[in-house]
Amino acid sequence: MATTTATFTLNSSDVTGHPFTMTQTATLTKAGGSTGLDEFTGITSRTYAAAQTDTVIVADSIYSVAASSHKVYVRNTSTGTSDYILVELEGNVIIGRLYPGDWMFIPYGGTLDVQVTTIATGVTIEYGVFSQSAAS
Amino acid sequence: MPTTTASLTISSADLTSSPINISATTNLTEAGTGIGLQSTSGLARRETESVTPYVLYRSDDYADDKSHKVYLKNLSPISSEYFTVYLTGDRATGAHDATDQSITGLTEVGRLYAGDFAFIPWNSASGTKEAFTVTVANTWAAGDTFAFDGVTVVAVNSTVANVASQINNAYYPNWTTSVATAVVTFTSRTSRADLEIDTTEAVTTTAGDGTGAVATTVTGTKSLSDIYIKPSVATTMTLESMLIYQAV
Repeated sequence: MATTTATFTLNSSDVTGHPFTMTQTATLTKAGGSTGLDEFTGITSRTYAAAQTDTVIVADSIYSVAASSHKVYVRNTSTGTSDYILVELEGNVIIGRLYPGDWMFIPYGGTLDVQVTTIATGVTIEYGVFSQSAAS
Repeated sequence: MPTTTASLTISSADLTSSPINISATTNLTEAGTGIGLQSTSGLARRETESVTPYVLYRSDDYADDKSHKVYLKNLSPISSEYFTVYLTGDRATGAHDATDQSITGLTEVGRLYAGDFAFIPWNSASGTKEAFTVTVANTWAAGDTFAFDGVTVVAVNSTVANVASQINNAYYPNWTTSVATAVVTFTSRTSRADLEIDTTEAVTTTAGDGTGAVATTVTGTKSLSDIYIKPSVATTMTLESMLIYQAV
């Protein structure tokens, strides 16, 4: 059984009147149990020569839609401040914007494609999926 | 300018034949600038004892198309318990309905099982707020009334502009108002697609021929990205959450 650990840290000394630090760690397991997730796509790194519209980065067809605890990681690895990536679920359900350097780590039901739309040329992105096999 | 830093590391020695170590760090900034996000909900916990979905963050309450970020964590110690995270939407397909998680009108993002956390960019796309006008016209008299949204305005004199001003000055729980001469514009406080106001709801009662004609000027639509949470069980479950957001 594989063991995959995700650790999230959020800290700020001045977003409120009190310094704030939070660290959360999760072992990525299959739905409803303690068995570790058993699939990983690897990290894909892409540079889009042209602006993208609804480009699929995670295709739902290859993931189990039964009880599942897939996780999707996406990062905008571009530089600068303005060239955001719009992350969507299939059907133009917009999740949010990743500005350069921003990342996300979200649960994924495997029911809809994950897509990206970009607004500029030369945007770079990396993404990967941690998932449980359909046989699980 | 606040500086808030979010970091993620994902590591595994045995998920693949070579160890995995992914690391990402970002300073949370406003859309398109290097200015740090300046507002936060604070770290919150919500305990539930129902499987009814609830709205965690409503798009109407936050600026559209910004770089808001949402942190979520399922604090349940029971491995089978999960929260399903939804966005507003109409993507409940047939395949989706095959699972017990689909709710028509909501779009599933995914499930957070016990101990799982998420860090989600949130676009906060509001819908359109319904708007209508009430035109105060003809002959009004002191004592005539206008009633709407549980509020009754009693005219203090017969001048239509004054009556309109009185209507505008009242506080309506679900609507905001503005006035131009004798025309009062009502705007819903929330984006909704189910509102269509007419004179059966905005009721004018006058002794003479005074009127308060109602005309829809903007047809409302629902919000596109409210965040809904659905607990998997009706026993106690606790969700931890935090929103770091851009005010304007």
